[in-house]
Amino acid sequence: MAKTEIRIGGLGGQGVILCGMIIGKAAAIYDGKHATLIQAFGPEARGSACSAQVTVADQVIGYPYVKQPDVLVLMSQDAYAQFGPTLKPGGRLLYEEELVKVDQKLPAGALTFGIPATRFAEELGRRLVLNIVMAGFFTGVTGLVSSEAMEKAVKASVPKGTEDLNMRALHKGLEYGRSVAAQLVGR
Amino acid sequence: MRLEGFPSSVTLRDGTALTIRPVKRGDQPALLAFYREMPQEDRLFLKDDVTTESWADRFIRRIERNEALSLVAEKDGQIVAEATLYRPQHGWSAHVGELRVAVARSHRRKGLATALSGMLVKLATDQGADKIIVEVVENQVSALRTFAKLGFQQEAVLRGHVRDIRGARRDLLVLSNDVSHIWAAMEALVADSSQEVH
Repeated sequence: MAKTEIRIGGLGGQGVILCGMIIGKAAAIYDGKHATLIQAFGPEARGSACSAQVTVADQVIGYPYVKQPDVLVLMSQDAYAQFGPTLKPGGRLLYEEELVKVDQKLPAGALTFGIPATRFAEELGRRLVLNIVMAGFFTGVTGLVSSEAMEKAVKASVPKGTEDLNMRALHKGLEYGRSVAAQLVGR
Repeated sequence: MRLEGFPSSVTLRDGTALTIRPVKRGDQPALLAFYREMPQEDRLFLKDDVTTESWADRFIRRIERNEALSLVAEKDGQIVAEATLYRPQHGWSAHVGELRVAVARSHRRKGLATALSGMLVKLATDQGADKIIVEVVENQVSALRTFAKLGFQQEAVLRGHVRDIRGARRDLLVLSNDVSHIWAAMEALVADSSQEVH
């Protein structure tokens, strides 16, 4: 893996930044790679557009900004409208399928992977863990970071007392991601 | 709902080793045997008539509908304690769980109620409960001590709400453990504002 550029987009309050931070932490601290994180959010904390740019590489990263992501992780329709066209041709779009409707405007060869992450989070007990379900989904679909590293990164990032639910959310997304990716390989 | 980490074991203060596991369909006879062994004086503090088969069937159905999460402690295959967290699935108190614990006299004052209650408080928090309540009669001193250790505080008193086996009326205390602060920390973390990210 030379360098993979990832953008995570959604609304404030969905845990977009934390999702990016966990992916970066898993890659850099627990998988021994290099990673950078750039975060952007609107003036209001909740409900405004929000995104995180994560770069993961085997080498030192000289330029941390993501212009044309290899992987897009999207949790809102606005984020899709804004970032969908920037996906690299042949790149992968991972999206919350109950919040994002995918159209034909994606670059050529784009691979799309949907997950009902909000519903999964609610079934687990807290809508709040939507971002962790998405982080697990990212891991299962892309394999860019190891599941062990993600587990450690989640445990190290979430408040005490919430670890178990967050781990269940991670595994839910991870298993769903692996099954969706396996279906794609089988097609 | 499948609970992870069970069956587990617990060693009481006197060295007795017990198995802790979730209640499942087929446990009705063992549960009825446990409660029928319990002195009537103790059963008086329970909300239901736990000696009837209809209660046992209703109880199992509630567990299967995820309205209750119940653990039993077993010694040599015999139930010696049962602890349940009741969780309404809808309505204005769906965020509140109610804890009920019953321990056989032979296994009291050994830390078993504390162990079971602690497990259920953790499971409740883990499943997203904001608040857990428990009802204790004013003279159940060791129960009050147990729940205080687990972070419960007195929230309400229902005067003369309980009539004991001798006809004396006693106050019923409602204790609560507000665990929402744990989730408030998580909410702050996913707020996606600059000051929240570390």
